[in-house]
Amino acid sequence: MEKFKKIISQYPFLGFIIAYLILLCVPTIFFTDLYQSHLSSLIFVNIIVAAGLNIVKGYCGQVTVGHVGLYAVGSYTAGCMFMYLGSDLWMTLPAAIIVTGLFGIAFGIPSFRLEGPYLALATLGGGEAIRLFIENGEFFGSTYGISSISQPVIFGVPFDTPDKYYYISMPVMLIAVYFSYSILKSSIGRAFMSVREDPISAAASGIDIKKYKILAFILSAMFAGAAGAVYAHLPPGYIHPNNYTVIEMVTFLAMVVFGGLGHIWGGIIGAIIITIVYDLTRPLYEYQLFIFGLTIVLTILFMPKGIGGFIDKIFIDKRFKKKKVEEGK
Amino acid sequence: MLLKTKNLMKAFGGLKAIDKVDFELPAGEIRGIIGPNGSGKSTFFNLVSGVYDPDPGSYIEFDGHDITDEPPHKIGALGLSRTFQLLRLYQDMSVINNVMSGYHTRVKYKFFDAVIGRKKIWDQEKEIKDEMMELLSFVGLADYAELNASELSGGQRRLLVLARAIAMKPKLLMLDEPAAGLSPVNVDNLMKIIMQLKDKYGLTLIIIEHILKVVMDTCNTVTVLDHGQKIAEGTPSQVKDDNAVIEAYLGKKMNDEEMRKALAV
Repeated sequence: MEKFKKIISQYPFLGFIIAYLILLCVPTIFFTDLYQSHLSSLIFVNIIVAAGLNIVKGYCGQVTVGHVGLYAVGSYTAGCMFMYLGSDLWMTLPAAIIVTGLFGIAFGIPSFRLEGPYLALATLGGGEAIRLFIENGEFFGSTYGISSISQPVIFGVPFDTPDKYYYISMPVMLIAVYFSYSILKSSIGRAFMSVREDPISAAASGIDIKKYKILAFILSAMFAGAAGAVYAHLPPGYIHPNNYTVIEMVTFLAMVVFGGLGHIWGGIIGAIIITIVYDLTRPLYEYQLFIFGLTIVLTILFMPKGIGGFIDKIFIDKRFKKKKVEEGK
Repeated sequence: MLLKTKNLMKAFGGLKAIDKVDFELPAGEIRGIIGPNGSGKSTFFNLVSGVYDPDPGSYIEFDGHDITDEPPHKIGALGLSRTFQLLRLYQDMSVINNVMSGYHTRVKYKFFDAVIGRKKIWDQEKEIKDEMMELLSFVGLADYAELNASELSGGQRRLLVLARAIAMKPKLLMLDEPAAGLSPVNVDNLMKIIMQLKDKYGLTLIIIEHILKVVMDTCNTVTVLDHGQKIAEGTPSQVKDDNAVIEAYLGKKMNDEEMRKALAV
């Protein structure tokens, strides 16, 4: 076990390959109907968004409430490319990532001067502006949305049903999480954290605050763009401006906060739990927002670092106590 | 000269916090800066490290570079490290991450290596971690490496800030009241560690301190500031007997006639 841990810490890539192999087997063993495949694809999309949101919110500490706007940009880049150019996922995914990354710069610039709730308001305005722009634009299909966006075809096999699309969304999710993992575990992640904790002292350590703030926004925007593109192509391939409201933003925030701000695995756990709960409680539509809002408040009050941080803390304390006991002897 | 300021000025509104200070510091020296509260010591640090922009006409040179208008992170990258009076620890980060973030300017790998997560990243990260653990055990915090910085005691926090400032292997280390709030035993301990680190890394030090014993024992030369002006400079024993310094700290020595005049009013 110790040896295995050591190998993984040296080659984190292997861990993701193992995860890939496991997830590859999951549908054949556990899934009984298409709904479960569809739900897992949704979970994967949300994991990508949560991983991105964790970079800018959890690590870099910039409060952004406009992330859903970037997600919409990703979706509509993919949707419009399909509608006007007939591109498939392999074309729209990189394009969505690049376009959303550019929008990320626009969202990041206010963070040079604004902080906390003020930045939240600015980004909220940005996100809503994007949604309203789409809703009122004939070019984007306005309130009709864009429908029957194509699913990718590999070697003549169309991935057009939820159970097949699982095999598209899952690798994309794993690659995204792998990128976020390697970014956040390197010196870049530490620089993000120091910017969050204390910008002045971070600058004294030679960290360029503006550069890292804008970098966090761009990176997380790229994640949102990728998620948006994968979501747009998700069978039956329908996107509508109503999928990108503040309500969605609250669920994204709930994922990251509940799972653990500044905790890579936490965001994933949060995305899984919240997506499942969100889908199972659809009949109780009126209470959903109330419940998610309450979840955010309660987690911040009683578990400020979410599930991930909470579990981490238990292990850290355990190791620390063990060390002290050993020293005592 | 490692650090040189010429005609350094900074005014907040009408208050001249730093008023035409010329300062020269050769490499390898331990310099103390003393002065009553509000005399501009911390402002001096903030000006040199780029936190404040100096007023026009000022000139600061560090290690041959003109750093007058440089942003703080560039000054840091040149090898000027500092600590803060109010510590400014990264409260919500583990102790080891606190120190490792101080290593930032020395990280060798490129951004895209990190994005892709190449093997050399993890190898280097491990090297950095080992080196920083060594530094932590040197200051005596190795056991606490995984805990949050906010869980440390006051004395340990002072050590951690010191370790974080050292992590970037600076040429010049500026300590803003490193021993504030410590008990006498801890002060001695801290100063011992600082001196050991100085020898180990070949540092040049500037120390702001109110505990005069520390300044008198460790510093080669002392600069005294009062109302933003440099009023004296010299070896500790010279400064101790300087009339201007005594006046700044204790007030003016009066002869009988002046005393009578003052009392008569």
